[in-house]
Amino acid sequence: MMKFGNLLIAGITTGAIYAMFAVCVSVWYRVSNILNLAVGDFAMVGALGVDNLYRVKGLPLPVAIICTLLVVAAFAYVYDQVVLRIAQDGPQRMDGIVVTFFFTFALSFFIDGVAKMLFGTDVHAAPALWNGASLTLGSLHFERAGLLVLACAVIIGGAFWVYIRFTLGGKALEASGENSVGARIVGIDTRRYRRLIFVGTAVIAAIFGIVESPLTGFTYLSGATISLTGFLAAAYGGFRKPGRALLAGLFIGVLEAMLGGYVSAEYGDTVLYAILAAMVLAWPRQLGFESAVSG
Amino acid sequence: MNGLVASSRRSAQRSALVASRVPRGLTPTALVAVVGVLFVLIWGQQYTGSVFVLAACYAIVTAGMAVQIGFSQQIAFSQSVFMGVGAYGVAMLNTHYNMPVLLATPIVLVGSALVAILLGSVVTRASGLALAVATLMLPLIAVGYVSGTGFLGGAVGAPLPGTLWPSSSASTSVALVGGGLIVIVLLALAVFISARILTSDIGLELFVLGVDERTAAALGVRTPRRKLELFVLGCVFAALGGALYAGTQQFVPETLVDPTAELALLIMLFIGGRRSVIGAVIGALVIQYLQGASNWVSVNILVVEGLLLTVVLLVDPEGLAGIVTTGVSRLRARLGSAPSEGLGGARLSEPSSPRRKRQTPDEVDSAEPVDLADPALLEIRSVFKEYGGLSVLEDVSLTLPERGLFALCGPNGAGKSTLLNVIGGSVPPSQGQVILSGADITRRPPHERFYQGISRTFQSVHLIKGRTVLDNVAVACLASHKSSIATRIARSRLDDAREQASRALADLGMAHLAGREVSSLTLETQRMVELARALAPNPRLLLLDEPASGLSEDQRQRLAGVLAAVATRTCVLLVEHDLALVAQVSERIFVLAAGRLVFDGGPEDFRSSPVVNTLLVGS
Repeated sequence: MMKFGNLLIAGITTGAIYAMFAVCVSVWYRVSNILNLAVGDFAMVGALGVDNLYRVKGLPLPVAIICTLLVVAAFAYVYDQVVLRIAQDGPQRMDGIVVTFFFTFALSFFIDGVAKMLFGTDVHAAPALWNGASLTLGSLHFERAGLLVLACAVIIGGAFWVYIRFTLGGKALEASGENSVGARIVGIDTRRYRRLIFVGTAVIAAIFGIVESPLTGFTYLSGATISLTGFLAAAYGGFRKPGRALLAGLFIGVLEAMLGGYVSAEYGDTVLYAILAAMVLAWPRQLGFESAVSG
Repeated sequence: MNGLVASSRRSAQRSALVASRVPRGLTPTALVAVVGVLFVLIWGQQYTGSVFVLAACYAIVTAGMAVQIGFSQQIAFSQSVFMGVGAYGVAMLNTHYNMPVLLATPIVLVGSALVAILLGSVVTRASGLALAVATLMLPLIAVGYVSGTGFLGGAVGAPLPGTLWPSSSASTSVALVGGGLIVIVLLALAVFISARILTSDIGLELFVLGVDERTAAALGVRTPRRKLELFVLGCVFAALGGALYAGTQQFVPETLVDPTAELALLIMLFIGGRRSVIGAVIGALVIQYLQGASNWVSVNILVVEGLLLTVVLLVDPEGLAGIVTTGVSRLRARLGSAPSEGLGGARLSEPSSPRRKRQTPDEVDSAEPVDLADPALLEIRSVFKEYGGLSVLEDVSLTLPERGLFALCGPNGAGKSTLLNVIGGSVPPSQGQVILSGADITRRPPHERFYQGISRTFQSVHLIKGRTVLDNVAVACLASHKSSIATRIARSRLDDAREQASRALADLGMAHLAGREVSSLTLETQRMVELARALAPNPRLLLLDEPASGLSEDQRQRLAGVLAAVATRTCVLLVEHDLALVAQVSERIFVLAAGRLVFDGGPEDFRSSPVVNTLLVGS
């Protein structure tokens, strides 16, 4: 029972991380019909950037964090203004898989390459924000960084939920993705929402990178793995449904921990991916794949 | 001998219609072969040559991806895994069983094909994104398996003693150049096969499949079979690339199978040009040379690849190949001028030949009329359709004869399109039967119904963008549906289909539009092209979903004339909102309301019926 409890805690913690990246992917997909495959790279830049400014450059931690987040936001803003603007708002509006996947895919390569130049190839992590030994409750162990991750997930996830569910902005962003021409006709600036959410999710991803990195440690290549898990969890949430993406992220995290703990530490991930593949093939419609993207 | 004479006569006739040209696929193949052989002979022993040969191994993989992913848009992330199957297969046979690489390669290819068929028959049931996500697991599973398996060398990788060049006594330079030449020959073969497929009649099928699976099925394409064939083709090409990689590099790294390797392959394909075989080859060359250059570029390869991919796709989503072809066609456009659009002459002449048989006899399914005394072509027997408790069709029965024009009306949401889909086969009824010429076709898939003579248009225009009017119509005349992709590499009957299509276009007075790209046409013309496409295979039953929507009054009158002429030789069922048009052209009208058939009668009764007036006119 103790093993199960600790595995569950570990699973929920990693699941919460997957869930947050999945929410970032699916909220922006809802607005722009583009999958952000660079979301994990923003997280990596967050963690390694703070580490670099704090440990190498010697800036105070709060200043390092604020500077990193500002750089991430500015970069995301410029990327939207230059690349996405030409791709989506240009005279020949592109659609289909090229826009859906490949611009952010190229962005991911670019960010990784720049990170390699700036931060090198070693494993680093942002400094722990809440120091101390892990907390215990009976026989259950809680990592402090893990608790911070959960707290951030609850706060940011809740804020997103309130924004989408209850505000006019939330409705407008949904309209932008469903039918961007229609949304523009009724006076919604779809480009503004695309930009707002892209910059917003980039910053959120960076925050999660900062909070999460003490648990695992990052290299310049860690972003792809994070994007992949975010993409997968978003996929199992039908891409357009942030709520379901969140549940899918938690599910994948817990399943991963249980398989690693009870089935095989070595082949746990292999079994996990096999299960996930089987689920797509068995219930494509129920999981929301067939309505998500066409063409 | 007779067949030979007949076919040569036919090709002589054809050459009058279709300009003679070099055999399909020869140009890119010759280009690759000549450039490749020269390169290997001149630089084969140097570093440049070894990068070139490595790029050629990757180009075999990307050539297959151009067919599978780019052209047919079946996004499956299986290539890096099958490169691994090919490479590790050859390495294991060479290391543990002392088998020469050149002998191990075909054995591994056969094995890969069998694995691909097994795997593909499971994963290709999924479409679109589901296929992409399901196959995305393959590299993840593979890398976990490989790194934990000592037999395969684990995370260290597997070296192999043998080389691709079979003679073990040959000097290093002979082995390098000889191995390089083998790779180039096989690359040329891969390019030849890919280019032949893309330019065959099945190539046209695959293009439609890539644009819209549902339309493809309605036009007779056996989508499950084609998807499986594409998957196997992509896997076998990847395995060949992997096997040659192992043979020329003499080492198989674990990173060959991981997701990053898959992404690298995709970058090559999309930089080069996803739909072009030559583009895919060039993409592989560009990326391998950038990675192989030992300077700033290869150190910061990620930045360079990211920037290059972004810039190329911003300029043209079709990659480097697209940039070149757009440039060439702009140059041509400047020299010549496009023919003008206009349907002033739209009319339906008598068919140019006596009613043609729909398909060659062996193509026709067994569901021929069984009861000759029964004049009914289509019979719908108490059809019900429910979507999760919501009843869309309730106990609908109707019968249509061999010829004539019939209309289906009703308010929005009455179930008109659903009924059309039930007849066309894209939606199965919850209960009830659909009988065509006495044969029960209720459980038959859409493509089989197409072979039996059911042809349809959709409510919104479903033409294939990026193709000419002629090809859009020719799609409905393909005789390739029951053939395998492999047979079409040798022989294509695309020209026959295009001939039939140009006759259908001429019948509608649209011959002058044959060479136009469809998205440049007006809505009216696009609808007429759809009509031509539906008519081209000489259907027995023509289903038209709101063909007049979006058309002006003049255009509607022209359409009415065309439909009346068509109805003298086939049965037309028309879903339409324009009541005046319906009453003008139809001999019998059915009205659906809330899933029930509430009216069934001639145009006179239709005009005076109180039910119709309340429901449709609102008075």
